[in-house]
Amino acid sequence: MVNSVIAGLTGGGVYALLGLCVVLTYRLVAVVNFAMAAVGAMGAFVMVSLMDAGLGVWLALLAGVISGGALSALLGAVLVRWFGDHDERTKAAVTVALYVALMAIGLRLFGSTTTGARRFPRPFDAPAFTVGDVVVPQSVLVSLAFAVLITVGVGMLLNRTSVGLRLQALSERPATAQVVGIAAPRLAVAVWAAIGAISALVILLVAPRLGGDFSTLGKLITTALAVAMVGAFRSLPMTLAGGLLMGCLEGFTASLGAVQQYRGVVPFLVIVVLLWWRSRHEVWDTAHSR
Amino acid sequence: MKRSLTGAVAVAALALSAAACSDAGSSTDGPIKVGSVNGVTGLFQTPEVPQAVKAVFEEVNKAGGVNGRKIELISKDDAMNPQRSTEAALELLESESVVALVGSSSAVDCGLNRATYGNSGIVSIPAVGVDPACFTSPNIAPVNPGPFKLLTAMLYYASETLKHDKVCMYYTVLPGSGGGIDAAVKEWSDITGKRLAVKDTSVGEGDPTPYLVAAKAAGCQAILYNATVGPWFAQAQTQGLQDVDFIMGANSYTDANAEVIPDGLNVYAGTEWQPYTDETLPGNERWAKIVDENKIQKTAFSQGAVMAADVFVQVLKTIKGDVTRESVTEAFKKMRPIQYPMVGTPWIFGPGEAHSPIQGSRFVKVENRRWKVLPEGFIVPGKN
Repeated sequence: MVNSVIAGLTGGGVYALLGLCVVLTYRLVAVVNFAMAAVGAMGAFVMVSLMDAGLGVWLALLAGVISGGALSALLGAVLVRWFGDHDERTKAAVTVALYVALMAIGLRLFGSTTTGARRFPRPFDAPAFTVGDVVVPQSVLVSLAFAVLITVGVGMLLNRTSVGLRLQALSERPATAQVVGIAAPRLAVAVWAAIGAISALVILLVAPRLGGDFSTLGKLITTALAVAMVGAFRSLPMTLAGGLLMGCLEGFTASLGAVQQYRGVVPFLVIVVLLWWRSRHEVWDTAHSR
Repeated sequence: MKRSLTGAVAVAALALSAAACSDAGSSTDGPIKVGSVNGVTGLFQTPEVPQAVKAVFEEVNKAGGVNGRKIELISKDDAMNPQRSTEAALELLESESVVALVGSSSAVDCGLNRATYGNSGIVSIPAVGVDPACFTSPNIAPVNPGPFKLLTAMLYYASETLKHDKVCMYYTVLPGSGGGIDAAVKEWSDITGKRLAVKDTSVGEGDPTPYLVAAKAAGCQAILYNATVGPWFAQAQTQGLQDVDFIMGANSYTDANAEVIPDGLNVYAGTEWQPYTDETLPGNERWAKIVDENKIQKTAFSQGAVMAADVFVQVLKTIKGDVTRESVTEAFKKMRPIQYPMVGTPWIFGPGEAHSPIQGSRFVKVENRRWKVLPEGFIVPGKN
């Protein structure tokens, strides 16, 4: 049992990364982005396809990250240009539509679960150390470090810099921000591009653990949203903790015969309970208005 | 769900009464009409199957047909959609008056249409039998072993050919197939007297590390596995499972999967027909010639298509007199076994309430990112 929990914990870093991507997008541009994993997967598949075609790793990585960024910027431009005045729900619906479209295109371009499996680069696969029966590879430490970097980096960006201040203004009161002279559309599209690039990097990091084909990677958005819920779409450190919790729970349920069959459900049940516990003192009409 | 089921039953009942009035499938001139239900779009895609069946029929037609009559295939795409599958079967039986179904490849056809086929007295010879109903119906006899006979063969290969005592199973189970898996494991236990060391059917999407660590702790020597390939084997390498034999089913036997399995791991796959990656194997020359000439995708499913069409033509040629739905069904129920080199046991339809004529599997192993055919030939449980 202890081994299983440790084994699950080694996957916590990648779950945290997925959740952080969602929260980061929400904090910076106030959109729940359902297409996040699919956009990242597009970037990741551009990279592995270029590598299969003979391009070097670094150039392919650059191309993959740029295409993830470009696709995300395009989505951002559409949202800013045509849906700028709409509420969060409409924007989320637009990203759902894009998710469906991207999944269909990806399936056609890159193949299904059995025919589209790709070999992703695993540069950090050497064992770092062993705990009990579990070999912990360097990639676990890299994922965790990247997750901490995002948590601390984005936190500092938002709270300590003038760009962060403008971003917060933009995400919370876009119209007012524009009135006081913040170049909203250009800044927002730039942020979307950065988010796309980070998503592509995150998908590349999680792929060796969570899925090697386009549809599996695109569908990781459900896991990402669940982790983001732990942080209530707001707190980056709580999201990081949520990812680790998710990993632990998966390992724990895999080790218990009685709950094994419900492995996929248990983490979500726990998250629901956690959300209820967090909101137990809140008054409904104030708690749910941003 | 309940409503759509009632709807389907009503449609089927209507169709049956219509069938009683029409003289379906009894024309004696013009082409012999044959139908198939194939997944061409949707989640289960097998566009190469109807293409390959058509190619075989074209070949027969060019050589003069059967008793001077040409064979025509009418293939319907069901897109893995239950309603479309039911409609496709009814359309083939009623509007097209087909004499038999040959080369179906759909994930839902057998389960939904078995009663319709039974009541219409028509036989179906699917190229690919997917769900358990394909192997337990009086009017359906596929040309592949199917996932459950294949599983028995995989277990037998692990315990008898590779001689492992601790055989473990890490599976993802689709709704409705749990019983089939239990029956397959029981059949293996009855033959060999052995039991599974670990049986875990909860593998899904997500980080595979906890399962691999548990398998290592349980001392598994052979692991049967059927879920996503990439992450499982990447993490198996990380966790140091280099001395375990992993055995996968035919669904994992694709070129893309061979490419992603890391060096140093022992990964096998059980195939349903002679492995398609080696065209020199018995029976594969004919298949390769047909798919090459017609530029059809080379997959295991297209092997099933060629085989289904071949056995159909062979039985059709034995019919004396009119070729009608009744005479075709009778010919299949009274046929003699056909030795077909692409599979492990002879194929026969015959009387009986359930048909699962093909047993056994031939195994391939990943070497240098390619599937290599192993020399043992077909492994048939209880016979090797």
